[in-house]
Amino acid sequence: MKRKYVMEPLGEMKAMYQAYNEAMVELVKTNEKIVLLYGDFPRGAAGEFLQKEHPDRIYDVGIAEANLITTASGMAGAGKIPFTHCHSIFAVGRAYNQIRQNVAFDKLNVKIVLCNSGMLWTFMGGSHQIIEEIAALRVIPNLVLVSPADPVETKKMTRALTEYVGPVAIRLSNPPVPTIFKDAYPFELGKAVTVTDGEDATIISTGVMLADSLGAAEALAKQGINIRLLNMHTIKPIDEKAIINAAKETGAIVTVEDSSIIGGLGGAVAEVIAENQPVPLKRIGIKDQFGQSGTVEELKVAYELTAKDIAKAVKEVIKRKK
Amino acid sequence: MVYDEKVMKKLEGKAKIMRRDAIEMIKAGESGWLGGSFSQADIVAALMFHHMKHDPRNPQWENRDRLIVSKAHCCETVYAALGEAGYFPKKEYQSYGHFGALLQAHTERKAPGIEYSGGSLGEGLSFAMGEALAARIGASKDASGRPVPRFRVFCIVGDGESNEGQVWEAVMAASHYKVDNLVAIVDHNKFQSGGTVEERINLMPLAEKWRAFGWDTTEIDGHDFKQILDALEKADKVKGKPHAIVAHTIKCKGVPSFEHKNLHFCKLSDEMYAEAVKALK
Repeated sequence: MKRKYVMEPLGEMKAMYQAYNEAMVELVKTNEKIVLLYGDFPRGAAGEFLQKEHPDRIYDVGIAEANLITTASGMAGAGKIPFTHCHSIFAVGRAYNQIRQNVAFDKLNVKIVLCNSGMLWTFMGGSHQIIEEIAALRVIPNLVLVSPADPVETKKMTRALTEYVGPVAIRLSNPPVPTIFKDAYPFELGKAVTVTDGEDATIISTGVMLADSLGAAEALAKQGINIRLLNMHTIKPIDEKAIINAAKETGAIVTVEDSSIIGGLGGAVAEVIAENQPVPLKRIGIKDQFGQSGTVEELKVAYELTAKDIAKAVKEVIKRKK
Repeated sequence: MVYDEKVMKKLEGKAKIMRRDAIEMIKAGESGWLGGSFSQADIVAALMFHHMKHDPRNPQWENRDRLIVSKAHCCETVYAALGEAGYFPKKEYQSYGHFGALLQAHTERKAPGIEYSGGSLGEGLSFAMGEALAARIGASKDASGRPVPRFRVFCIVGDGESNEGQVWEAVMAASHYKVDNLVAIVDHNKFQSGGTVEERINLMPLAEKWRAFGWDTTEIDGHDFKQILDALEKADKVKGKPHAIVAHTIKCKGVPSFEHKNLHFCKLSDEMYAEAVKALK
């Protein structure tokens, strides 16, 4: 199987927030407009650096997510580039109106870092595992929503969204994830990346699920099933062209996410193919359920997010092809 | 402080023009927020036509003082002040609240001079704090090491709006960070949409609450220009704390037969319109 930009074997395990901080600590040195805002959240290397070197560019407003998001919008209104940091469940769940009204409405240049995003926040359990964020955020006009797959993409994305002028939310999953991409991996906001190419079916994956999706593609390749694997790092605006081409050229699609399939990536892809190129579709993700405590592996098994589940779904959609 | 009589006369004249133009907007828009728009009018006039540094010819001037009207439905007297100052032609008033209008039913930043798109209550003070903090970033320092902010931020907060918890999140944070270039002015007109503030969620003692949260707090008559200007001057002088001005105001102030009535969101009948125009001559 030909894999593009992918390390063989996969590289170092690293948490996305750590990778984000490694990129950010360099960005804050060169871009004086960047301000880091926290809602009683660990600062990481970038925050520690700013606290020491530029304490007027770092603020923690405490456990007050609404105030966190709107304070950031005020800073953006005055020409700064604020990055907010708090748990995704509380950014989206408790400050939704602030994201909509104070950030997106006026297209203010706020970057919302959705920390501990998605289902795979292992120990914390259902109150903290957010399954709704993709569905909830992608209906907000003006807001760009991105979801990196590994530490390399997290870094490239952090740099790219600093350059982009406008509101962005970035999903950072909690557990350490393997480094999938080589440094040559090209990242362009809004453009899906073909990780493997094939003609039998397409797997469209977002965020932390890429390693499992890749595992499924490899397992299927050994059985003679050739998969196009798209890394849909930008959930909004979604790369419609890549989805339509995948539907036309491979005839079947499986979507993969650690989020609710209702309105999530699965919902987004379903909308695009239903209007443009209907093909069999299966959505891997959370099926209208809340989360619970468990290890990454236990959660993936319980919610049917494993490479095996993905491969099984691919075989199902291939069977449904006319 | 003693103010030139000319300043007082000017502000009284501007406030009257603002209320009169607001009546025209409410008439043209067929609806509007007369009560809260009129209760804050003298405060807005004092800020826009005396206290704040701003330039209608350059609305995006980086170091302008900012006015954030958190209770953004009370937009008519704000639009009237901006139109009077020259931010946009007064002919825009006629399309207020209509399809395609520059002047929407809640303030939006697309209108020159408007700093904040509101409509969801309780959020403006956080926005104002963000602006005020931004004004201190990279600023020069005074002899005692305090930043000399590039601009000041004034935020009009409603008393009814203060039911919202986020107001108090911002109050805590601004105090924690000693944001002394931030002035919150509470338009304490004693009414909210559904009735009196007292019968909904009693906020009393209001000034004491701000004081207890660490704000330099002054209580004034919000229709007395001398008291408004004195309180604003004091806010400039007291360092190391954010400033609250609890302004006792009268809902619908300016049209005697409307005053103290809860004309919150209302339509103007021909009789009411005639009554208002007569009172504001």
